[in-house]
Amino acid sequence: MIQLAWLIPVLPLAAAFFIALFGHRTTGKGDRVGIGAMSIAFLLSVGVLLDTMGGARWAQHLTWAIHGDLVLNLGFQVDPLAAVMLVVVTVVSLMVHIFSVGYMHGDVRYKRYYAVLSLFTASMLGLVISDNLLFLFVFWELMGLCSYLLIGHYFEERANVHAANKAFLTTRVGDVGMFVGIMLLFAAGGTFRFDELAARIADGSFALPVLAVAAILLFIGPVGKSAQFPLHVWLPDAMAGPTPASALIHAATMVAAGVYLVARGYALFAPVPQALEVVAWVGAFTALFAATIALVMEDIKKVLAYSTISQLGFMVAALGVGAYTAAVFHLMTHAFFKALLFLASGSVIHAVHTQNMHQMGGLFKKLPVTGWVWLIGAGALIGIPPLSGFWSKEEILLDAWHHHPAIFWTLVAAAALTAFYTTRATYLTFFGTPRDKHAYDHAHEGGRVMTYPLMILGVLAAVSGFVASPLAGFVYFGEPHHASFDPFVFGVATAVWVLGVGLALAIYKYNLVSRRAIIQVFYPIWVVLKRRYYIDDVYQYVFVRGMIGLALVSAWFDRHVIDLIVNAVGWIGRKVSEYVDEFDRGVVDGIVNGIGGAFVVGSRVLRQVQTGFVQSYMLVLFLGLLAGLAILVIGG
Amino acid sequence: MDATRIAFIVLAAVAVVSAFRVVTAPKIMHAALWLGFTFMLVAGVFVTLGAEFLAAAQVLVYVGAVTTIILFGIMLSQAAEVRSRDPLQRERLEGAAFWRRGVLPVLATVAFVAIMVTVYMRVPWPAPPGGVIDTVRLIGSALFTTYVIPFELAAVLLLIALVGAIVLAVRDDNKEEQGS
Amino acid sequence: MTTIPLTYPLTLGAILFGLGLYGALTQRNAIRILMCVELMLNAVNINLVAFAATLREAAAAGQIFALFVMTVAAAEVALALAIILILARRESHIDIERVHLLRW
Repeated sequence: MIQLAWLIPVLPLAAAFFIALFGHRTTGKGDRVGIGAMSIAFLLSVGVLLDTMGGARWAQHLTWAIHGDLVLNLGFQVDPLAAVMLVVVTVVSLMVHIFSVGYMHGDVRYKRYYAVLSLFTASMLGLVISDNLLFLFVFWELMGLCSYLLIGHYFEERANVHAANKAFLTTRVGDVGMFVGIMLLFAAGGTFRFDELAARIADGSFALPVLAVAAILLFIGPVGKSAQFPLHVWLPDAMAGPTPASALIHAATMVAAGVYLVARGYALFAPVPQALEVVAWVGAFTALFAATIALVMEDIKKVLAYSTISQLGFMVAALGVGAYTAAVFHLMTHAFFKALLFLASGSVIHAVHTQNMHQMGGLFKKLPVTGWVWLIGAGALIGIPPLSGFWSKEEILLDAWHHHPAIFWTLVAAAALTAFYTTRATYLTFFGTPRDKHAYDHAHEGGRVMTYPLMILGVLAAVSGFVASPLAGFVYFGEPHHASFDPFVFGVATAVWVLGVGLALAIYKYNLVSRRAIIQVFYPIWVVLKRRYYIDDVYQYVFVRGMIGLALVSAWFDRHVIDLIVNAVGWIGRKVSEYVDEFDRGVVDGIVNGIGGAFVVGSRVLRQVQTGFVQSYMLVLFLGLLAGLAILVIGG
Repeated sequence: MDATRIAFIVLAAVAVVSAFRVVTAPKIMHAALWLGFTFMLVAGVFVTLGAEFLAAAQVLVYVGAVTTIILFGIMLSQAAEVRSRDPLQRERLEGAAFWRRGVLPVLATVAFVAIMVTVYMRVPWPAPPGGVIDTVRLIGSALFTTYVIPFELAAVLLLIALVGAIVLAVRDDNKEEQGS
Repeated sequence: MTTIPLTYPLTLGAILFGLGLYGALTQRNAIRILMCVELMLNAVNINLVAFAATLREAAAAGQIFALFVMTVAAAEVALALAIILILARRESHIDIERVHLLRW
């Protein structure tokens, strides 16, 4: 089965092209093709994972281009990390594919949606099994394109187009850094392949400063893709896309790709403590920072978006403190429970046609299935034992406590905020009194095609934490690493989430403290949070306006200096061509017409030969034969 | 000068005269009969050259089949002209036709025969071997071993020619009635 | 085999071929042209048989070649006459001077 791993990305890729070209002719406009391809890819992934657990490894490559001594290979490799990611990605993608049948029903660009969804999944799967940086980068960019298309799916609204542009351009900033990093590694190491790069690093071929610079440059890519501070601004806006697509982009694929890249290239980071320090602080800061913004968001998807940024910060911080296994573990559990939360929010939005939580409330009675799975997902996000998020977050905190206490306390603070905002979102959406009577009355579950994926993901979000100990012996960097239980860490983690949940309930359920009072007390902070720390505004003024100003200056220069040169060149060109024209008419045309005329006259003469008398032909034939004979006789 | 050689010279002389009549006989029917006669004489030449089997085949194929079919062709194509003189035989050649069908063919033919005979005279041919060989057995065994595939192809060719001739010659009554 | 010198039958072949050629080039009656072509084929056969009779190594090949020529000639006659019949039926003559299908 493991030999067929290359089929896993190829199947969705083929499906994407098939849907794009012939989707409109098939029943369901191609959704069945997409779901079928994903199902097979999922089964293959499970087979590959089982083989990998049995100890199998597989690597294979085709020669793609040869340039002198340089041979570029198109290769894939399957190791435990890749195998786990394959299963996670295919599961979530399959669920999203199925869920979308209900959610996107009747959409005008249904076919396009499915084609892009499949292409997106194919890119992520290709990225996961790539064995070299170059192809990883290719798939990485392909994913950027797909995210652009998905975020801009409802492009009739200008805001969505802006969101798509923002996502594309912001991640592009990260990609430039990443590309420079890749090229630096290539220049220094002469290869793109991970295993060869790791070998070069192990035998000390790299100068440590070069490696440090390359690692930090490479890390800029994940900062963009995984929406870490300061390139996180695109992710909340990316909620403009269809909600199931958000689930795919922000749970299992695109944002996970950044974390995956750091894990995949961990050999580059491990020898450079400074790089790891940067990674750890970027992650920890992002975790806390995004969690504070999530506190005040009113849009249910925005809350999830900032929550995603925060959780990605957890993973990045975990990688920074050396908790490789914990990071991958959290990546997996997060993929499940965040996909669940996104799809559940999709179900809610589908039911009430609004994203503002202040217009929801009391929906638990109307949407029992969605409500229950949401509770599971929220519990996992908060880290309530024994749900999956608890185990992975606990492991991250444990490693952080042992290696880097400052990071630990930052993450604990973020965890407390996570508990608060999650409880807030849950309460506002599903409990309390309905605040929008009309929406409440019309709310209903979205049918089995939507509830079944939710239930499956709910089960996964609940139980996937129990694989912690097998995973630790399976996916690791260097030596297997078993974190032992630490009562202190457990105590702190439990205390903060109980605190966060309790505070949220106190405010929103029991109204012990008035929300208005809190806002009045903390008004400056509240405004800053509402404005998302003004980062978007700063970017708007500095980069967007700056760019426009620069463009105006360039335009002036263009109009007054470049145009002058261009016009002068054009004038000279015209004069020259006038002379050329006369030459053309007189001489060249004369020759051309002369040749044509010669043929006309010549053929008029020559066609006299075609008399139609068979005997003449025979005669000529025979005279030719005679001439040949005569030459032979005389010559011989 | 042995008997075979005398026989050959006689047969050859008559064959040349007879072939000349094929070209010049005023009636086409007579030309066809002269042709048959020429074929018979060539068969005789084959015998003097020791090719008895080919002589038999010559009589069967040429005299028996080809001449007959040509006679049929003459009768079917120009029934009225069978007994009369071929009107095309005697004509005055004028203009281009004088060269095309008068002078040049004569020159070409004479030149050809002259060149060939000169060549034949110049080449030091091996002497005739004499003796007797069972050529029938030789041909038979070669035909069914070395040349078996051309032999079978020849059979196919004949079949195709048969079918083709029938398809071409069959009268399309419907078309004829419509006057096309 | 034979006691006749090779030059004799070759010369006979050349003469018969020449007569056939002259007829094919000058005659206007399609059937007579066909007859002349048959005459040329026969002249070729004489050459083949003569070589077969004189050159021992060519004994079988020459005669078999002649045999194939006969086969082809028979097929050719059949087809040629079929074509002439069509011509006669369509144009009610078989004068090839008056057939200009190949003219420009």
